[in-house]
Amino acid sequence: MSPDECSFRPMACELNYLSNSDGSAFLKQGETVILAGVNGPVQVKQTKSIYNKATVQAVYETKNEKRLAGDEGQLIRLCITKTCESALLTSLHPSTMIQISIEELEDNGSSLACILNSSCLALINSGLAMKYTFAAVCCMIDEESNNIILDPNTLQLKKAKAVFTLVFDSVKKELITCQSSGSFKEEELLTSIKKCREAVHHIFEFYRDIVKQYATAI
Amino acid sequence: MEQNSKEILPARYLNDHIKADTREDGRDFLSFRPVSVNVGSIKNADSSAVCRIGNTGAVCGIKAELGPPHADAPDVGIILPIVELSGLCSQRFRPGLPKEEAMCIAKIVEDILISSKAIDLTDLCIHKGKLVWILNCQIMCTNADGAVVDCCIAALMAALKNLTVQKVEYTPESNEFKTDPVERVSIPLKQMSIRTSFALLKDDLLIADPTSFEEDMATSILSLAYNEKNEIVYLHKPGGDPISDTLLKKAMSKAKSHTEQVRTLISTAQSTVEKK
Repeated sequence: MSPDECSFRPMACELNYLSNSDGSAFLKQGETVILAGVNGPVQVKQTKSIYNKATVQAVYETKNEKRLAGDEGQLIRLCITKTCESALLTSLHPSTMIQISIEELEDNGSSLACILNSSCLALINSGLAMKYTFAAVCCMIDEESNNIILDPNTLQLKKAKAVFTLVFDSVKKELITCQSSGSFKEEELLTSIKKCREAVHHIFEFYRDIVKQYATAI
Repeated sequence: MEQNSKEILPARYLNDHIKADTREDGRDFLSFRPVSVNVGSIKNADSSAVCRIGNTGAVCGIKAELGPPHADAPDVGIILPIVELSGLCSQRFRPGLPKEEAMCIAKIVEDILISSKAIDLTDLCIHKGKLVWILNCQIMCTNADGAVVDCCIAALMAALKNLTVQKVEYTPESNEFKTDPVERVSIPLKQMSIRTSFALLKDDLLIADPTSFEEDMATSILSLAYNEKNEIVYLHKPGGDPISDTLLKKAMSKAKSHTEQVRTLISTAQSTVEKK
């Protein structure tokens, strides 16, 4: 499948955007823009310290006040933390903390997928050891035509019957994180997963291109 | 002796059980704990239910209040799920401010209600733009021993199925309303969704309905909610180890049959109340 067939919105990224973070990424997927920074390993509060591995903490800021104050922000934070934790080799840095800060600058659909992709790029940029990289794809099922649309924008999302955010690892391309809304049949889920899995390697390729741009020595 | 080994060497304790092809409470890997539901146990609430899944317990009480609708959605009522994980349900929680975990559960409960279209929110509207029912669904966890959200959802669904509200007469001219203290109208539950949890232990071993000890030891947790039409309304897997499609399908088929059982159970509990 070519990038056009997958119909991803154009992606653009800049690494090392922030000077005071250990790793940072500024990612644009269509009109959705996310800024991610990673700090770590840093000192951790006694109450949050885990003796045999690093604590992963996510900070999520958005201008959407309803989302920030409500429970939704909390669920997004959980999603970022757990996904990054699964990819990072946290046992290398016991009793420390790895902090991932996300700033949502613009949201035009598929924001969770963009958040996760930018945090992965920031983690790559920070040089922390990881088991695998991960890539998130947002896809929706159209209410009328039952078509699967990848990387939808806000306008398309209004007509969605179901929306999924699926995260795959780079090694086996298996599902790390999954979040859904709306109701859907089992077959629809399985075809969506299949389609996203085929499309996800474009994102991994995109990661590789970006890192190549910044790798001056090799 | 057994208790000691669980606390000192939890990984070995778990391994010993897996090797013996069993779990700490003697279940098979893919069997569920017994579920019990009691409807209408709190008299002060408009509707209530108590649900237990093994040791895990949750109480749900619904209070219906009258109030103005949101300005951006004038013809629909409001459902507010509130989840409380008090200090008494597990040693992990300390009394005080609402916990992150409780907020996440409240959001998951809300998402399931919206995704499954459990209640037609227009049924809660009394007069467009002026007066709607606001359903405060307070869910309290009494014992957190794994699969807390499943238990909360089951309790909430049982309570919603039983929900009746006072009859209201509204006069738009004077903006006044009168509630009838005796006559009650029921709010129909369109779709009853039930959520089931699975945990992935190391070496890709899938277990159903994990206890809190198993949840702590799990590499990943997966949960699915099905509605009455056998459609999935919620699929949640926050991080953890990757899951293969075969395991996902296995979990789906198990969840579907279990959902059916719990749904029948809630309906039975409901019918016993009606007989009274």
